[in-house]
Amino acid sequence: MTMLYNIDTSFESYEQLIRLFQENKNRIFETIHVSIQKWFSANLCAALGGILDQLINGLNEIRFDTIQQDIQRIIQKNDFLSYYGYQKIEDVNNTTIKYLKLKPSDGRFFHPYVVNELLNRPELPDMTSQLKKKITESIYEMFVNAQMHSETKFIYTCGQFFPLKHKIEFTVVDIGIGFKNRINRRFGRSLTSTQAIKWAVIDGNSTKEDISGGIGLAILKDFIHVNKGKIQIISDDGFYQFDSTGEQYKLFSGFFPGTIINMQFKTDDIASYSLANEEEMENIF
Amino acid sequence: MEEITISAYNVVGNAFCVEADDGQRLFDLIKKGLNEEKRIILSFKNVEMLTSAFLNTAIGQLYRDYEEEIIKQHLTTQYLSDDDKVLLKRVISTAKIYYKNPERMQESISEILGE
Repeated sequence: MTMLYNIDTSFESYEQLIRLFQENKNRIFETIHVSIQKWFSANLCAALGGILDQLINGLNEIRFDTIQQDIQRIIQKNDFLSYYGYQKIEDVNNTTIKYLKLKPSDGRFFHPYVVNELLNRPELPDMTSQLKKKITESIYEMFVNAQMHSETKFIYTCGQFFPLKHKIEFTVVDIGIGFKNRINRRFGRSLTSTQAIKWAVIDGNSTKEDISGGIGLAILKDFIHVNKGKIQIISDDGFYQFDSTGEQYKLFSGFFPGTIINMQFKTDDIASYSLANEEEMENIF
Repeated sequence: MEEITISAYNVVGNAFCVEADDGQRLFDLIKKGLNEEKRIILSFKNVEMLTSAFLNTAIGQLYRDYEEEIIKQHLTTQYLSDDDKVLLKRVISTAKIYYKNPERMQESISEILGE
């Protein structure tokens, strides 16, 4: 049995999720027992869903032996457990952002999800409309990146409001090629996973052929800097974190079979995000 | 110069101009207009969300195929919020740098590798 214990967005928590994949990835036709205890950040249902799908691909059955009751309620409310035979329950406190699993070609279903789960939620923390738009834009940039670059079969997303801490966590996961393989294949080089992430977060760096790009992550980073939030990227065995304390790169002992982008946004941010001057506005081209 | 208005909302079919494929459709129309030497007004009326991926494809690519002056003379935008103008400006600056030196990507990899 694999125990997931006190899973938040720390490096150690991601290491536990990676361990769940590594310990079970070679199994076929087995029942994989998982237990979740103490804490589980609901947004990381996106990462857990991606991992469990990989294990299900080996025709394994997933069985949650024990899930602490309060955790179970939350991940039932956000629909995650519906994928594993549990009953859906209504979210009366409205703090969950639903778990969603989409084919990359089904981007049209992401639109109503974003509208219903983020833009049109009256219970959403009181935010400036500009901040709400910036958050949605960031989430979209990451979703579209996964669609275009990851070669994944599914994209997994999930979020959670933390009203007392004035923050939203939102996670976008793909089970695809990963930053390292994508960049090395495109340029015929051999970057490590952390070098690949370092390259990808630089403004204007893109693996697209014949079309400029590579702005999405840089825009997100700029926004997070002003918003005082946090970005984490887990790709292959690489870990990257950017927050008000700076940038961190670390290596996991195993590898994640794709990429996790976790974003933390502060909802009590009243900063202004229009940085253009009038001359620039007139002279776009 | 004859003027035509292209509605991004209409080309995409909704208020979210976010996916690269939708950007490609807009690009194809702009290109058609430029080849016919039309003055193009690119309208973002009713558009609620834009991403860099959409704009790279819809507009960034133009800098590969046309001189900057041609684009300046023939293309204007309408109903673009200040935030989105900042985004578009960034997309265009990146495109100009990218198409001036396509080898820049390989060079930036070498920098990361410390070569």
